[in-house]
Amino acid sequence: MKLDPRTKLFLVAAANTMIFSVPYAYSMPMVAAVLVLLLLEKKWKFMSVFFPVYAIAALCFDYLKQLDSGMIGTLLAATVLLICRMMPVGVVFYYIMATTKANEFMAGMSKMHVPNKVTIPLTVMIRFFPTVFDESRAISTAMKMRGIRLFSLHTLKNPLTILEYRLIPLLVSITKIGDELSVAASTRALAPDTRRTCIVPIGFHVQDAVVFVYCIAVIAFVVVSHI
Amino acid sequence: MPNVKTTGKKSSNTLVRDLVNVGIFAALYFVLAFASSSIGYIPALIIFSTGSISLVTSIPLFLFFLKIDRPIFCCLLFSSFFGCVMLMMGQSLLMLPIFVTVGVLTGFCLKILHKSFWGLFSANVSMSLLSSSMMLPLWLSTEEYLAYASGMSDEGYVAKMAELANSYWPLVAIFAFGILGAVVGSFIARRVMKKHFERIGLA
Repeated sequence: MKLDPRTKLFLVAAANTMIFSVPYAYSMPMVAAVLVLLLLEKKWKFMSVFFPVYAIAALCFDYLKQLDSGMIGTLLAATVLLICRMMPVGVVFYYIMATTKANEFMAGMSKMHVPNKVTIPLTVMIRFFPTVFDESRAISTAMKMRGIRLFSLHTLKNPLTILEYRLIPLLVSITKIGDELSVAASTRALAPDTRRTCIVPIGFHVQDAVVFVYCIAVIAFVVVSHI
Repeated sequence: MPNVKTTGKKSSNTLVRDLVNVGIFAALYFVLAFASSSIGYIPALIIFSTGSISLVTSIPLFLFFLKIDRPIFCCLLFSSFFGCVMLMMGQSLLMLPIFVTVGVLTGFCLKILHKSFWGLFSANVSMSLLSSSMMLPLWLSTEEYLAYASGMSDEGYVAKMAELANSYWPLVAIFAFGILGAVVGSFIARRVMKKHFERIGLA
């Protein structure tokens, strides 16, 4: 099922507002919506990891919130709360990143009359999150082969070395990717004052209307029940 | 090339490069800031988390400042992205003007002092205010922030935050540690730039 990029942006805004700004129970309908969308995209592998972890964390949430048992308890509670609160947001962003191509996103933003000066960095930013994680994972594997790990006696003795061994290779590779990307962007006529065309048709369909109505209904329900 | 005559107008290609750099470094800054702020989950270390953020993000910020041609515009865009992200994460509306101000201030530091060490240093210190001001609503609108935090964390953590909000000293400490982290980070970044990036021609 293909959603319009603008609908996805609305979904992100609605889901984030629901997850962060209102009591925990109200965020469930938005999490459920994103789960259904991910199922429709057939992301089975991701779902099989996310769903059990989230379900366990959600079940423990209320119990751990009242728990007051020293530092380890607080750390445990913080981890579970992080899973409950931040993971759904991460999942919404994962859905956007996994299903939106850069050109579709740019076409959607252009239809919303957002200037290219804002759209270009935003597109690059969204496209770059997976790259940062991929590069970081690759560097981590390379460093493991040299015996440099994040939690080892060597790094505990001198924590700044981790900056040198992990952050600098990451920066070098990302800067090079960035330079290549800006050259590639220029060759594809990506300039701040040109209007690009998009081969993929962008527009509102039935599925967009369903997502819109669902989000507005959830928000309206929360607002009414709070009043 | 001193004899080359130019129109004085910056090319649109450099603008695209700047915009791409803003996107790349914003993504990296976001990941690093989130990772390094995680020490703040231990209640006793909340105050030190801003220091760790500015320490870790100093090197990428130095590289970012060196690579951009339009400092005010790029820094403004960079910081307003975070303002928007904070708004989307349910923070108070106050964050957006604060972040925009920090962005403009950073841009002016770079514009006035250029890309000398002290220019980069002052820009880095000013950018550290970005992470430090994230906790500002705890003092400016205490009840609203505590209500927001109670949805995100356990009772003990919220109680610790309420305790911090009683006095203004923790706020001063948060900003002081943020600036201290940026100062130490800047000197580390200068060494790293010389040792690694200048050698391979990236800085």
